[in-house]
Amino acid sequence: MAEAVLDERALDNTSDDPRRRAPLVLGANDLVTITDKVCRVPEAPRMPRAWYVALCVSAAFTAVLAAMIGYLVFTGVGVWGLNRPVGWAFDITNFVFWVGIGHAGTLISAILFLFRQSWRTAINRSAEAMTIFAVVCAGLFPAIHVGRIWVIYWVFPYPNQMAVWPNFRSPLLWDVFAVGTYLVVSVLFWYMGMVPDLATLRDRATTRARHLVYGVLAMGWRGSARHWHRYEKAYLLLAALATPLVLSVHSVVSFDFAVSMLPGWHTTIFPPYFVAGAIFSGFGMVLTLLVPARELFGLKDVITLRHLDNMCKIVVATGSIVGYAYAVEFFVAWYGQNEYELFTFLNRALGPYGWCYWTMVSCNVVLPQLFWSGKLRRTPWVVFGLSLVVNVGMWFERFVIIVSSLHRDYLPSSWGFYKPTWVEILTLMGSFGLFFTLFLLFLRFLPMVAMAEVKAVMPRPAAEEPEHEVAARALAGRGGSGEPT
Amino acid sequence: MSSLSGQGAGKAYWRSLEDLAGSVELRALAEREFPEGVAEEPATSRRDFLKLMGASLALAGATACRRWPVERIVPFAHRPEGYVPGEPVQFATAMDLAGAATGLLVTSYDGRPIKIEGNPLHPSSLGGTDPLAQAALLELYDPDRSTAPLRIARGQQIASSFEDVERFSRELFRQLRERRGEGLRVLSEESSSPSLREMRSRLLRALPAARWHEWEPLTRDAAREGAALAFGRPYRSWLLLDRADVIVCLDADPLMTEPGAVRYARDFARARRAEGGRMNRLYAIEPALSITGASADHRLALSRAAVALVAGRIAAELFLRCGLPLPGGAEELRHALERFERHPFRPPLVTDIVRDLLAARGRAVVLAGPGQPPAVHALVHLLNAALGNAGRTVAYAPDPDPERESHAESISALARDAGAGRVEALLLLGGNPVFDAPADVDFAGALGRVPHTIHLSLYVNETSRACAWHVPRAHFLESWGDARGHDGTLSVVQPLIEPLYDGRSPIELLAHALDDGVTSGYDIVRRTIAPALGGGDFEKGWRRVLHDGLLEGSAWAAETPSPVRPTWAPALAALAEADPSAGPGRVELVFARDLSVYDGRFANNGWLQELPDPITRVTWDNPALVSPSTAAELGVGTGDLVRIRAAAREAEVAVFVLPGLPAGTMTVSPGYGRRAAGRVGDGVGFDVYPLRVGRALWRAEAEVVPTGRRWPIASVQDHHLIDVLGMKERGRRAVRLIREGTLADFLDHPGFAKQARGHEGELPQLYRPWSYEGHKWGMTVDLSACIGCGSCTIACQAENNIPIVGKREVARGREMHWIRVDRYFSGTADSPEVRFQPMTCHHCENAPCEQVCPVGATLHDHEGLNVMVYNRCIGTRYCSNNCPYKVRRFNWFDNHRGLGPVEKMVFNPEVSVRSRGVMEKCTFCTQRIEAARAEAKKQGRPLRDGDVEPACAQACPTEAIVFGDLNDPGSRVRRLQDHPRAYGVLEEIGTRPRLKYLARLRNPAGSESGRA
Repeated sequence: MAEAVLDERALDNTSDDPRRRAPLVLGANDLVTITDKVCRVPEAPRMPRAWYVALCVSAAFTAVLAAMIGYLVFTGVGVWGLNRPVGWAFDITNFVFWVGIGHAGTLISAILFLFRQSWRTAINRSAEAMTIFAVVCAGLFPAIHVGRIWVIYWVFPYPNQMAVWPNFRSPLLWDVFAVGTYLVVSVLFWYMGMVPDLATLRDRATTRARHLVYGVLAMGWRGSARHWHRYEKAYLLLAALATPLVLSVHSVVSFDFAVSMLPGWHTTIFPPYFVAGAIFSGFGMVLTLLVPARELFGLKDVITLRHLDNMCKIVVATGSIVGYAYAVEFFVAWYGQNEYELFTFLNRALGPYGWCYWTMVSCNVVLPQLFWSGKLRRTPWVVFGLSLVVNVGMWFERFVIIVSSLHRDYLPSSWGFYKPTWVEILTLMGSFGLFFTLFLLFLRFLPMVAMAEVKAVMPRPAAEEPEHEVAARALAGRGGSGEPT
Repeated sequence: MSSLSGQGAGKAYWRSLEDLAGSVELRALAEREFPEGVAEEPATSRRDFLKLMGASLALAGATACRRWPVERIVPFAHRPEGYVPGEPVQFATAMDLAGAATGLLVTSYDGRPIKIEGNPLHPSSLGGTDPLAQAALLELYDPDRSTAPLRIARGQQIASSFEDVERFSRELFRQLRERRGEGLRVLSEESSSPSLREMRSRLLRALPAARWHEWEPLTRDAAREGAALAFGRPYRSWLLLDRADVIVCLDADPLMTEPGAVRYARDFARARRAEGGRMNRLYAIEPALSITGASADHRLALSRAAVALVAGRIAAELFLRCGLPLPGGAEELRHALERFERHPFRPPLVTDIVRDLLAARGRAVVLAGPGQPPAVHALVHLLNAALGNAGRTVAYAPDPDPERESHAESISALARDAGAGRVEALLLLGGNPVFDAPADVDFAGALGRVPHTIHLSLYVNETSRACAWHVPRAHFLESWGDARGHDGTLSVVQPLIEPLYDGRSPIELLAHALDDGVTSGYDIVRRTIAPALGGGDFEKGWRRVLHDGLLEGSAWAAETPSPVRPTWAPALAALAEADPSAGPGRVELVFARDLSVYDGRFANNGWLQELPDPITRVTWDNPALVSPSTAAELGVGTGDLVRIRAAAREAEVAVFVLPGLPAGTMTVSPGYGRRAAGRVGDGVGFDVYPLRVGRALWRAEAEVVPTGRRWPIASVQDHHLIDVLGMKERGRRAVRLIREGTLADFLDHPGFAKQARGHEGELPQLYRPWSYEGHKWGMTVDLSACIGCGSCTIACQAENNIPIVGKREVARGREMHWIRVDRYFSGTADSPEVRFQPMTCHHCENAPCEQVCPVGATLHDHEGLNVMVYNRCIGTRYCSNNCPYKVRRFNWFDNHRGLGPVEKMVFNPEVSVRSRGVMEKCTFCTQRIEAARAEAKKQGRPLRDGDVEPACAQACPTEAIVFGDLNDPGSRVRRLQDHPRAYGVLEEIGTRPRLKYLARLRNPAGSESGRA
């Protein structure tokens, strides 16, 4: 009987049977097999063929990115299609897009940690890695979009012989602080959480080099109780520190627009709207990455359908918030009766960039509604497809906000039109190349699942588990810290 | 090396070491001696090198040791002995364009002219200029100008020298003298220069069998012939627009294209400000949409042929119905006018025009443009005489050159004779007839039959290439000459710099040909002007003329000629046959003067090429303009290439759809499509000269066929074809951005502009307001005065070292002009109202740009200027995104890369040349503020109103732009900012702009409180 139940669970952990807790790890896994499964990937002498193909493609695009940046720096920002009304387009669109992607990691690792959402353990490591790589891509764009990249360091408030400070009233400066802080905290959080797993890799190392590298990275972790105590305290503190950042980064990014005078930018709902959009896009990208990764590296037991299901629920929720924001913008434009704003929004939907607007609405609001269907949430290829749609939609959202507002502002004499050049298109593609290259290297060399944390949420092996606890769990049905949502 | 050889003594003078360093001698030494030495001595040791350098320097000194002829030029405001290196000095000179000169003041910086301004004393300028005069500076420093004489044989250009030219011409003229000049022809451009006329008569006296021809593609012969018809002999006429209360323009554009337009624009604009409740009223009936038409109170778009119907109808009403006396013996004229009266076409506006003309007898003026036939001009002269306007609003003087035949006749006679082998030698003084001669004159073919041809020209142009000899021409800024203004005022053209490329002026070339002893331009001009200076001390008078830039009282004596018997009545009657509605498939081709390249001569001038046409806002092109209805009928749109067939010739031209043009017409402007203009002008636009024939230079019946191909058009406004949604919004906003009212509105509610919107109060501020202890700079633009000409744009470009970016970049929306003139249409597509609005940095009190710059590169200064610190700018472009006026300009590339040493000379040393990746924008000419401040401090006095004048305000022909200190209660700008018509653009968003506009006033007929 017990075996039959186990089999059933192995097939599906997504049913919300109130009588028993759905397991977070499926299959005949115990603490050993988890370690084996996760460590197998960085320890394997060879990766699957698909990994090599993907790395080649990504690395090629990274090279393209480098070439495009070189061309840009040596020739001038004019190689992009920007012009007078439209001073920002692909550059800042990509920046906001990547910063948004970078949101899911910290949300999963910090906020869900504080809310005791144990299911996060299977995905938080890769989501955090994704965050860091996305923020790296994001940081690239503000740096290269300036006219004189060689003096970009002037945005930092450093004491200098000119006795000149940056302008603290400028939202761009706030951006520097917000994104910089976010990157630092994210890296710290990610690395600190990885220390026990790095120690595991060190301990399993078969070559001197691996032993040395992982040994240095593990910083002498021995797994003592004191280590664990300090680790968990620090983790909690960092989580508490990172939590406001999740909200602040994108709020500050939205100030770039909200603080300006431009109709279509100058609006107070931007901070929450941007944060919701960022979480939306972040989860979209996590899904894009993890659906193929769990297939490729045989981690379906750890990153289960239930995880996909949960993330899809967040996608549909945040997607609807974003859709609500779109509607409110129109309402406020009408209700405020500011002629410039009214025109900006009409022009956004019906003007020359109308097709971008409707792409955005379809991808961000309409199509994610399919996730109301549980069946679709649990069909990985559908999830993968829709996650791509979400990525596209969120990129367009930023493009629409930036370009459609800029291209027709106050004086009709200055209205213009923006078309990207091949340099901008290749730069965008190159940034994906960089992102995927970094992520593929992460998969290759670091544990993509937080083994230590996953083990903590696994049921203890039946042999160790006292009979009364089994009975109590069966009766209790819910409550307790290990409860999945 | 001509100066050393003693030949080019004419222009050899120098004032400073810099001047000398730039001298041709030194350059030639540096370029020639040294490499030759190296070539002879391949193993040059360091010692030899030093020797050579020493020798070079010694030789450079030697050039200074020669005796320089004493040719004093006199600066405008400073005595030459007070010359301070590094201090700009202004010199007066004049620019002659097709027979009418504008007096100029040129700012010279260490012997290097860097800025052209109008001469406030000169009646054709009064301080203002048109864009062409402003841009002449760039032409001076054009590296594509020809640098040395060329011998051209079978298409091969062989470098030559002046010695060769002189050897050849001496021999040629020796032979010609033996035959009393038989076979010699001279083809000149139209020129007002008395010295040239003097040289001409000397030449014709010495060589009586020679013939002098004159050709000007944008000829004003119709007016001349019209005057000859009306008065029995040709008269020059000019306007006294300040006295005109009613102006009726029949296809005329006195505010932009007539000689004296700069002056006319000022006189016109003075009466547009409703001071004392008075305003003039302007009617325009025209086939093209001209600057004058755009400023008109009433405008009627009619095909060029149909304009005569309005003229005839006005005359018929006045003479036949209103009892204006017809001149004696005018039965034929009466019949002609009756035919106009019987014509089924009932043009609107005629009743209003007739009423106003009658009410304002002696205070009105009727004008016809160069595109109208002589009979219409004659009728207009008759009208002005009968209405008592002649002598009051329009002045007449006998034409100084009454004998000459018309330009079209002259060039066709020349081509005919040359084709028949009757011309042995042809001297072309400037011009480019191979490119711009009428299409029915095979000038290139005729030129091929002339054995000896010498072309004097600034550029090796199409005509040079077809001649045997090319001689570089000295630019007017580097040679002596003289010229007369639109009213005959005499000026001396004094050089500002030694010829960069050792050219000759036409008078010098003629002097060499004549070989009569006096060969330097300086001496020729002095000889010519001596009688005009009268008795007394010649040197004193001469200095006075150079200093003032004009000879006081030298304007032509105005007469009031009386009309003769109108023998031209049948010609007028023939015009009554015109049909204002065009036939299907055929269009009337209307030739209009291009405001940038003139007749094509300025095609290689980047400033002018990139200056947007005031009406179409198109740069780097001359599209054929058609009305929306004609475009629909032809099945074409903006950017479509069409093939135009006229007079059995074809041209391919891109179409631009423009409202306000009469149905069935197509306006084209010749001068583009140059094949040998230079690196800037070659292949820009379309050559429509092939469609133009000598007997009808200004209009043609044409067939237009779409080709199905497209052509990119770079317009600085409407970069992208605008959809219906945008178009509607643009129309809605235009009337609020450019507030406008009738004279009656203004008199009833002086503050009508402020009432146009509520919510103009000051919005609350988060930041502490600025306090201005000293000055507080501000500007106003009177939209009632602005005619949209674009002089401010070019003046600013010249003053502030603004680069040009080329057609492709303009098409992408990256033009760099710091001040632009926005143009909006309102009303219907058939009769739109045109509104202009010069737009530059508003120096907002609460500047959106200042707040968002992350590095604080754009700041507010203590006198209210919004300053841009180029060195601090990192180029985020956030300021531009946040600027509601979109007046900031970003250097997308290194716009100054690859400039040669001569091109760099055009830069104003007081203004930084901006590097790649930084933002730039209007500074209110901060360098001029500082210069004026320093000057005032030196004189120990405070800055006075008018001491500081930014380049735009200085150049503005209509004084629409006023700059000054808002803290000074007596300043003009303070008074204007407090004027009831003053309003700020986008004040409601809280920018608190420093630049205020004065609402535009119009005076349409029927607004009764407005007195016409």
